[in-house]
Amino acid sequence: MEDILSAKSGIGGFFSNFGTALARGDWSVKLSLLWWGAGYARRRQFAKALLMTLVEAGVAAFTLLFAMQYVPKFGTLGTVQAEQVFNIATMKTEWNDYDNSFLILLFSLFSFVVWFAAAAVWMRNVVNVYRLQLQAEAGRHVNTFAEDLRSYLDEKFHITLLALPALGVAVFTVIPILLLILVAFTNYDQQHMPPTNLFSWVGINNFVTLFSGGSSVTLGFGYAFVRVLGWTLVWSLFATFTTYIGGILMSLLLNNKMVRWPKLWRTMFMVTIAVPQFVSLLLMRNFFSNGGIANTICANIGLTGFLRDIGAISTAYIPFLSAPGWAHVMIILINIWIGVPYQMLIATGVLMNLPGDQLESARIDGANPYQTFRHITMPYMLFVTGPALVTDFVKNMNNFNVIYLLTQDVYTTTNQVMANAQAREVDLLVTWLFTLTQDYYNYKMASVIGIMVFVVCAVITLVAFNFMIRGDKEEGYQ
Amino acid sequence: MSGKKIARKVLFNVLIAALAIFWLIPIVWLVCTSFSAYSGMNTSTFFPAQWSAEHYLKLLQSDTVNQFTTWFWNTFKIACVTCLVSTFFVLMVAYAMSVMRFKMRKPLMNFAVILNLFPGMLAMIAVYFTLKTFNLTNSHIGLIMVYSASSGLGYLIAKGFFDTVPRSLCEAARLDGCNEALTFVNVVLPMSKPIIVYTVISSFLTPWMDFVYSKMILNAGISENYTVAVGLYRMLDRSLINTYFTQFCCGGVLVSIPISILYIIMQKFYVEGITSGAVKG
Repeated sequence: MEDILSAKSGIGGFFSNFGTALARGDWSVKLSLLWWGAGYARRRQFAKALLMTLVEAGVAAFTLLFAMQYVPKFGTLGTVQAEQVFNIATMKTEWNDYDNSFLILLFSLFSFVVWFAAAAVWMRNVVNVYRLQLQAEAGRHVNTFAEDLRSYLDEKFHITLLALPALGVAVFTVIPILLLILVAFTNYDQQHMPPTNLFSWVGINNFVTLFSGGSSVTLGFGYAFVRVLGWTLVWSLFATFTTYIGGILMSLLLNNKMVRWPKLWRTMFMVTIAVPQFVSLLLMRNFFSNGGIANTICANIGLTGFLRDIGAISTAYIPFLSAPGWAHVMIILINIWIGVPYQMLIATGVLMNLPGDQLESARIDGANPYQTFRHITMPYMLFVTGPALVTDFVKNMNNFNVIYLLTQDVYTTTNQVMANAQAREVDLLVTWLFTLTQDYYNYKMASVIGIMVFVVCAVITLVAFNFMIRGDKEEGYQ
Repeated sequence: MSGKKIARKVLFNVLIAALAIFWLIPIVWLVCTSFSAYSGMNTSTFFPAQWSAEHYLKLLQSDTVNQFTTWFWNTFKIACVTCLVSTFFVLMVAYAMSVMRFKMRKPLMNFAVILNLFPGMLAMIAVYFTLKTFNLTNSHIGLIMVYSASSGLGYLIAKGFFDTVPRSLCEAARLDGCNEALTFVNVVLPMSKPIIVYTVISSFLTPWMDFVYSKMILNAGISENYTVAVGLYRMLDRSLINTYFTQFCCGGVLVSIPISILYIIMQKFYVEGITSGAVKG
């Protein structure tokens, strides 16, 4: 009988277990729907009965005392505007009892999550109580409370292990992401900033703004989005492949038997990644600034003059990081400097496990080093690091540091339409949404862009993994 | 050895030396500039015109803008707490996902993959509103929570390592009467030194290397709450750069030395961890 309950898995199984338990359970199982501790009390498990009753009381108290203050206002996100009123009784100007749209949104969402969890516990409880009934009917040993507790260090140890980390992820990742998705459907921005102002639901207006020209106030969001997305993709493509190939070449070079002191060289390259990026990138930014040392050197060797003569620049300096085109190329080049040693480390780790017999037979067959690289090393690398390549691509799409630290305060856009949308030609989607939230408090558009980032990342990952699974050559390397 | 071979050997070594020099130019510039006697940015020559260590002394004496010692101490405190929490979280999740078998294991792992697709920054923006509502922005507690609360999601490398611990050892421990918790603490953990060291160092380094979260959380606060990253970034404000550029370089050198050492140690264990995983599949 018990097998019927445990055999099914997944969400469907959970619901069907619940149905079975409810249909076949005795009166105490059914009473458990109302009084969560009933089933345990019937089986004389008073500690557990008390615990479940307390949980039930907690949920009820939470609902009545906390959730009910916010959830009823969820539909409007508040109607009472904050105002200062003169209170006759205290003879002072005081704030009225205003609604805070953000708190309503946040706490309503929080209540939904708590209720969702409570519903799961409630259903699970019925199933557990029914299982208890089956055990009792079969005359088998029913665990005491102490034994139940002990099982959390044994076969249920995973629950003990995962409880706190999962709570952290729920509160600091899942709820925020849900919150952000909700904000994308509101008009939460600088003009609608709680607590002094209310914001409200606007449906899909923000998405419409992003994909069309929009009204005069928001002119340019669609225009800027296409350009920023385009650069984001181009940047990720270049950043990923230049560092990947560079890393492999560097690691082959370092691991070549003819190179002396390979450890020394490797450490020297690693120093460049070990220096925190906010130091190295900020330094680079000043190194290549308009009046910086790189420009002085270029002027001294006549490069600046030469470029001006052929019409490549119109300024007295080379705008390494301050003009479109120049900045794009420089960012990719500087990223090579940062990324190649890192990829070199990973490639070294993978190459150590290169199938030696294949290399050996290639050598006996008289393959030259290039052929070995092309037909053995590279396919093996691609096989092992393929998934990492996809994650690297997604990481580069969200590579905030390189873009922000290199171009913030240095690069200002001259394109008025981009400027209207608070975007710059060198912005990635993430830096754009960072600027929108931190400097312009345009949370609604930042949320919409955030959702778009996720969609793009998810599509790329899925397509790439699908492609890789189809071209599965797993057996070849086993 | 033939002449051709010697020529190639020389060529290889010259090539790698050239690359290494190229890669070290910015670092050399950082160190040289930090010993400059001039306080602003030196734009005319690569090496400073006059050498002096006075800016290191200035950096260690706080003034209105520069409070490097306080920032350093702040970052250190944040790093210690983050390291403690993250290490526990990562190892716990990794063990549960690697060694234990339970119904929700696969769904949870898939869920983690999906969550990791959301850029971390995205969740942080919402976390930022929330922390702001509870007045936890511009505080170290908020920043520690940001660094460590979701750290359980980064369990994959540690899981890869635990996967290589022979199952037979765990089974032997169980036959000897160990429960799952004792197996974890007494059998698996003592065998996992490389991955523990890797996890400890990498989570300790997170607050030191991070820029964006600390800027987000501490940006509007007062200078004495800053971490090194935010503080040094502030020194390069357009109005301050001419007075503080050399001190920025000194700060960069001082913070980079311990981090580089830890980083290089960590990488050794990292390569050990992933390669042992690859060998045993």
